[in-house]
Amino acid sequence: MPVLEVRRLRKTFGAVTAVSDISFSVERGEVFTIIGPNGAGKTTTLEMIEGLLVPDAGEISFGGLTWEKDAHAIREMIGVQPQSGALFDLLTVEEHLRLFASFYRKSRPVEEILEMINLQDHRNKRVKVLSGGQRQRLAIGLAMINDPDLIFLDEPTTGLDPQARLNIWDIILRLKEMGKTTILTTHYMEEAEKLSDRVCIVDQGAVVALDTPAALIGRLTKEREIRLGFEDGEAAAREAEELLRRLGNITRMEREAGQLRIWTDRPEAALHGLFGFTQEQGYRVERLSIREMSLEDVFIAFTGKEWRD
Amino acid sequence: MLAWKQFPQMFAAHLKITFREKAVWFWNIFFPVILMVLFTIIFGGNANEFKAQVAVADTRPTEASAQLLDQLRQLPGLKIRGEGPVTPEEGRQLVLDKKVFALIELPSEEDPAVRLVIHRENERNITAQALAGMLEQFVQQANYAALGAEPVFRLDVETVTTGGDELKFQDYLMTGMIALSLAQSGLFGMVGLVEMRRKGVLRRLRLTPASTAMFGIADMAVRFVLGVLQITLLTAVGVFGFGAKLQLHLVSLAVAFFVGVLAFNAIGYLFSAVSKSQEAYMALANIASFLMMFISGVFFPVDSLPEWLQPLARVLPLTYFVDGIRDGMVYARGIADASFWIAVAVMAAWGILAFLIGARLYKAKSIAAAR
Repeated sequence: MPVLEVRRLRKTFGAVTAVSDISFSVERGEVFTIIGPNGAGKTTTLEMIEGLLVPDAGEISFGGLTWEKDAHAIREMIGVQPQSGALFDLLTVEEHLRLFASFYRKSRPVEEILEMINLQDHRNKRVKVLSGGQRQRLAIGLAMINDPDLIFLDEPTTGLDPQARLNIWDIILRLKEMGKTTILTTHYMEEAEKLSDRVCIVDQGAVVALDTPAALIGRLTKEREIRLGFEDGEAAAREAEELLRRLGNITRMEREAGQLRIWTDRPEAALHGLFGFTQEQGYRVERLSIREMSLEDVFIAFTGKEWRD
Repeated sequence: MLAWKQFPQMFAAHLKITFREKAVWFWNIFFPVILMVLFTIIFGGNANEFKAQVAVADTRPTEASAQLLDQLRQLPGLKIRGEGPVTPEEGRQLVLDKKVFALIELPSEEDPAVRLVIHRENERNITAQALAGMLEQFVQQANYAALGAEPVFRLDVETVTTGGDELKFQDYLMTGMIALSLAQSGLFGMVGLVEMRRKGVLRRLRLTPASTAMFGIADMAVRFVLGVLQITLLTAVGVFGFGAKLQLHLVSLAVAFFVGVLAFNAIGYLFSAVSKSQEAYMALANIASFLMMFISGVFFPVDSLPEWLQPLARVLPLTYFVDGIRDGMVYARGIADASFWIAVAVMAAWGILAFLIGARLYKAKSIAAAR
């Protein structure tokens, strides 16, 4: 049985349809990432699942528990790190953890959480003096205090420096080792690609794609982009261009001075022909790169929008 | 269902949040004490402690004027400047330069008037009125003496109060200040809630099994702790600093304190429900506070207000809170008295109304339906 099942969710605010039709299910132990352009309905969807908003239509089931009947039981079994810190400036790290622990029937030991979020040395510091990354870790710690089966992390790394982001990735990977289920939203491509078991792309209030990152990328065409720079300048590039055109299998080409960009479904054939040609002519290749398709391309392909708005 | 199990940690958290805030110490503890000391010094000055320096002009000394001067010299608190009399012109200049409080021109053969010359800015000053009163008496005595008559009627002033003979104006002022401070703590105290809502802390609690009602009760409990601290401190300052005398009626005091603190916090809660920012909240609280401060009988009785203002004073909750606190602290009356219960009822009505409207607004504003 899935830990969370969402069926045909719908929510409108006046004339605006924030969520038109969203369905998915999340299995135990996976990191399930929801991505989408701003205004796609991510936040509204999360808020409905977290019990802050009542959907106009559709069903949300936590392994059989629903908000209508089992609100208290659901709150006991989920942990949420909201996008805004939502902390008390004048309380310390440890006081936060103890306060939140008192809300739940069962809770993890405060020491354990402190260790996981690596704030042992800052336990007596007030939130006011913590850095952004430390606050975010505390917010994640609070989401874990009740040892939840299902953890929601809403853009946990937004606005953090690279080191602080890596710290949070570590926490997410540890949660996974512990067999916890995580629902993640993020603005960072590599984060979604690296951490997620499955990615759900949402656009205009509906799910447009849902699969493992690798499968999503595989669904795109096999087309690759090759970039090539000749030391011998424009003449060499022009000759190479003509050669490739004769070879076929090239979707598109762009040339600018000695630089050549080639899009092809069969990169190995194109490269083979190219290198034969350069060796024969004695041209020296200055730069060569082949760009792999990434989740970003998937995102653009499915939503028609740039990743960063 | 109220989750009392959550109370201790919530109470501890509110206690820390409240007492770690420097502004709370300033506005709720130090400021009321400073205010009380200042107001008691300004308004509470004892009428018996009359003090003034005057110049005396005696243009053509006569027997009568010499006698008058002699009597003036014996008046306690009145100090005559310099050795001898000055000319009227010199005297007037001294008054204008504020070197002396007043010039007294003694009568002569040609001019039988005793003249009191005061700077116009002191026209309505208590000292000026007291001085005029004393001279009036002198003149009258002198008139009787000149006519060889004995006065038939005399005036005796006596003050009465339920608070025992030793009740003084200081006691009246002290209790007014206590009620004012407690009321202001309530009106201004909910500013933290605006911030908690803005930062999403209240929303964060709704994501947990925490009871928001219990969170509010714990907050209120801390406010009562703060209130007890205020009333104790201000009473100590009043009693030990200004010799105020207490006639405690603890039950009435407890009832008035409890209902009053709740009512003013409820009004603060209502302000927090309609304020998007701390600035907006503070503006509302300031308006309410200033509106009530001067027309609710804190510094002077409501009856001394202009007629048209009195009906307003009679609906404001601070009027009744001040009365209730006075009943409990210095008038030693209360629970047996109908007016005490009217005061409690008016405060309770304000509190309940403010709370209900506030709660409704909070509910309407939070996007989530209550579950």
